[in-house]
Amino acid sequence: MQTLDIISVNIWQIIISLCNLVILFFIVKKFLYKPVKNLIAEREAATQKIYDEANEARLAAQKDQAEWSAKLSGAQQEADAIIKNAMAKADRRGDTIIKNAQERADGIIRQAKVDAELEQKKAEDGIKREIIDLSAVLTKKMLKREINEEDHKELIDDFLLDIGEML
Amino acid sequence: MQFKKPDAKFKAVDILLLFLTALPFLAAIALKVLFMPAGDGMEITGAFIFFTIKLPVMDLPISEAQVNSWAVVVSVLFLCLYLTHGIRARVTTKRQILAEWAVEKLDNLVKENMGDFFMGFAPFVCAILMLSALSSLSSLLGLFAPTSDLNIAAGWALLVFFLITYYKLKGGPLYYIKGFFEPLPVMLPMNILGEVATPVAMTLRHYGNILSGSVISILLAGALQALTKMVLGKLPGFFGEFPFFQIGIPAVLSVYFDLFSGCLQAFIFVMLTMLFVSTSFPADEYWKRMNKKAKKQKLS
Repeated sequence: MQTLDIISVNIWQIIISLCNLVILFFIVKKFLYKPVKNLIAEREAATQKIYDEANEARLAAQKDQAEWSAKLSGAQQEADAIIKNAMAKADRRGDTIIKNAQERADGIIRQAKVDAELEQKKAEDGIKREIIDLSAVLTKKMLKREINEEDHKELIDDFLLDIGEML
Repeated sequence: MQFKKPDAKFKAVDILLLFLTALPFLAAIALKVLFMPAGDGMEITGAFIFFTIKLPVMDLPISEAQVNSWAVVVSVLFLCLYLTHGIRARVTTKRQILAEWAVEKLDNLVKENMGDFFMGFAPFVCAILMLSALSSLSSLLGLFAPTSDLNIAAGWALLVFFLITYYKLKGGPLYYIKGFFEPLPVMLPMNILGEVATPVAMTLRHYGNILSGSVISILLAGALQALTKMVLGKLPGFFGEFPFFQIGIPAVLSVYFDLFSGCLQAFIFVMLTMLFVSTSFPADEYWKRMNKKAKKQKLS
């Protein structure tokens, strides 16, 4: 059996072995590294694209949100203004109504006073007349004689006036 | 993109590639069976020589180690083709995950040990790792491990030496020569010796470790045979002759010497390669030179 010595140095074998390694380097580079690296790059590009899109979408959403919140706050202000206006209006109207009511109440009170005075006067007049009538009757009875009512009316009136003045 | 079921053609190519990955080893075994005279496997010798080519300086014997290392190269070629066959960005198959995992791990390893400047070394590191590991592991198939031939490991170490020198020269030839006179001019012989010692040490470390493993395995097998004869030799017929103790025990050692040691030595070789190449590169000097060159180009 023809074999090499256990320690044998052969230049050609060394060179062949060196070349083998170089060849294998190119094989690994071309057939393993290049496809895998391409793949990873491709995937990274795809991922980057997705990220970019997501970012874009988020920015758009943020813009929308800002817009809507601005709009919303505008609406709030508007509502506030409307309420304020309405309240002012209501206040004004309330004031007018109260004022009117006051005026009318004053009128009523005044009227009532006038009426009362008139009534009083009427009552006073009534009482006066009754007193006159009564005095006439009394006088007639006291004098026991016929008294011409017409004749003495003036006299009694004077008398009553005197009493009134005395009163 | 939806998952596309692989069609028959794709599957056929897959199987063909897998078969072609295994074929070189099968062919090597066939060669061994056909051409090598049967022995009891107890001799401690070098690789079997198939034939010799006459060449100047030295004859080239085409040995089993050479053939097996070619088998490994071809096998790796088809393994790479298989791993990258039909890989796509979106569909993740198991082999794609494996391929990406390997590439990423090696990239990280190179990045950690050598830095970003040497990222181009990743395929080279992968190549050494695969070649060395598969060469050592081929002994599991009963083949002669190419790594237990001095010349094979020497070839790789020589290439590493060239790379080291190439990167040392990147700092300029003057800087390279100056490196030999440091720290003292008296150290010149020592420095030259140290320069030469690197590939020699790498060769002998790798080759010696793998060879010693197989030598120990053979010695142990012989010892176990002798032990069997001594203990059971008195038994009549078949029981007295069959080496019972050779069952099991060598397998345990094989796990260490063939499997573990083979992978470990490959890893050590790769680590040393990365270490030597990256430390041989004078980064500061190189960038200084590049800047100077760029300035000169701008001026002219």
